[in-house]
Amino acid sequence: MHINISQQIPNAETSAKSSTQSDANIHFERVGFRYDREGEILSDINFSLPPGSMTFIIGPSGAGKSTLLKLIYLNMRQSRGHITLFGRDTSQIDRKEIPALKRRMGIVLQDFRLIDHLSVFENVALPLRVAGRKRADYKDDVLGLLKWVGLGHRSHALPPTLSGGEKQRAAIARAVITKPDILIADEPTGNVDSDMGRRLIRLFTELNRLGTTTIIATHNTTLIPEDANILSIEHGQVTGTISGEHIG
Amino acid sequence: MVNTLVDTDIQHTELTAQSHVMKTQAILPYDKKNDRPLFMVLVILAFLATITLLATASGYRAAVGWQENLQGKLTVQIKPTISGADKITHNTADKAERAKIILAELDQVKTVTILPDEHSKALLEPWLGDASIPDDLPLPILLDVQLNSSQNLEVKQAAILLAEAGIRADIDDHSQWNKEIKRTTSAALLLSYLALGLIIIASVAASIFATRAGLTAQRRLMDVLHQVGAPPDYTARLLSTRFATSGFKAGALGAASALLASVLVGMMFSTSNGFSYFLPGLHLSLTDIYLVIAVPSFLALIIAITSWRTVIKTLYNEIYP
Repeated sequence: MHINISQQIPNAETSAKSSTQSDANIHFERVGFRYDREGEILSDINFSLPPGSMTFIIGPSGAGKSTLLKLIYLNMRQSRGHITLFGRDTSQIDRKEIPALKRRMGIVLQDFRLIDHLSVFENVALPLRVAGRKRADYKDDVLGLLKWVGLGHRSHALPPTLSGGEKQRAAIARAVITKPDILIADEPTGNVDSDMGRRLIRLFTELNRLGTTTIIATHNTTLIPEDANILSIEHGQVTGTISGEHIG
Repeated sequence: MVNTLVDTDIQHTELTAQSHVMKTQAILPYDKKNDRPLFMVLVILAFLATITLLATASGYRAAVGWQENLQGKLTVQIKPTISGADKITHNTADKAERAKIILAELDQVKTVTILPDEHSKALLEPWLGDASIPDDLPLPILLDVQLNSSQNLEVKQAAILLAEAGIRADIDDHSQWNKEIKRTTSAALLLSYLALGLIIIASVAASIFATRAGLTAQRRLMDVLHQVGAPPDYTARLLSTRFATSGFKAGALGAASALLASVLVGMMFSTSNGFSYFLPGLHLSLTDIYLVIAVPSFLALIIAITSWRTVIKTLYNEIYP
């Protein structure tokens, strides 16, 4: 089954980002993935996500959502088929090029992945430090973003002292501090209550409005906005799509 | 980025964050608890390496000193003949005088000195002890022959000259002793190099082990760095700098301890003539100080290279697809 969301969902209003984002489309063509000799965890995955779109990947636990995301953010390579990312076939990308491509993506995971001995400010600033930016250059950006996600007063705090919602907002801030072309979130609401889950989804929606291609995997369908694109996965295969309208 | 809070319903008292954001925190801070075992191992390795280096340098200097002292010298021994005691003494002294004249005339010879009887008596001390040696005991007379620098006198040639003059003498150019010293020095140097090689291998092994343990302990951090797009060399630099710094500190402590121990042991066992029993005394030279200073840097360099390679290899094998 081949699902071309880009053809089904016009996303004209999401072109807020510059032309550098024009290659931020994600295209899967007959993609399969397996660990060694085991059976395929993903098979015959076909879809296209245009730049600036917002897509929810839904499905029960073990359906293959996280694996699908890992293929997108280059933590794994597909066993077969073709994935096009930033205009390139990922199977042709040398692993030395991966860090540079990863810096064009923001990744949010269910377990937050914050570094406990670094303050919230330092956690959020980490991608900028890694990219070689000077502290004086990014300090105001980080503080501004922390304020924006409602953590302005917690910049000095260490992650273990934060609530689940605060941790996830810090993780989101870290994912978007570099203004990535693609934002990927794997069960971002999994460790927070439903009220905080709704707030986080609103945060993602706001970020998508700024032009970031946003992909969120979740098994909690109650949090999905009505106008969102949905890609449904079960047993490693795409079982359906629901197309939203004018996201952003 | 817009300057409004998305979660407008969350009421936070926003403090002026600038005042709270202090200096940049280390991504990979020194972990006293986990780093201590490696630190101690490196201190011991640095101690052993420094002791080995100092012992090697000291032994080598002593051997060179002995060789230089013996080169360019001959010792001529005029032996007494076995007959009446009074005659013997007179004849031996006379022969010694004549031998001195004969040898002094040679171009290769700089000076010839007849050594006093005390030298001959001193040679007998190991066998006779402190007991006074009777005056009528026939003793050989020793001649110390100094050769002109860069000139060589064949023992055989000198022996023939003395024999032609009717003087029975044993001539020693110390070549056998020099050979023994060279052989012993070479063996000691070889053992030292072997010990140093083993210490370097142990340092590399300790560094690889510690880096792997560090990677396991910091796996979450490595994953996060990978997630935010840190190149492998950035991650490797973080870890190798940490381990190399630790190695330098451990090296400095180990080398300083070894230097102190050497000085103390040297002071405890040295004798007034500068010898520690039958071994040469330990005298520190400027070279020794340079060696001591070089140990921490060398150790840090080994650890930096080893941990760098280990991190890169591990990252590519385990994290990068």
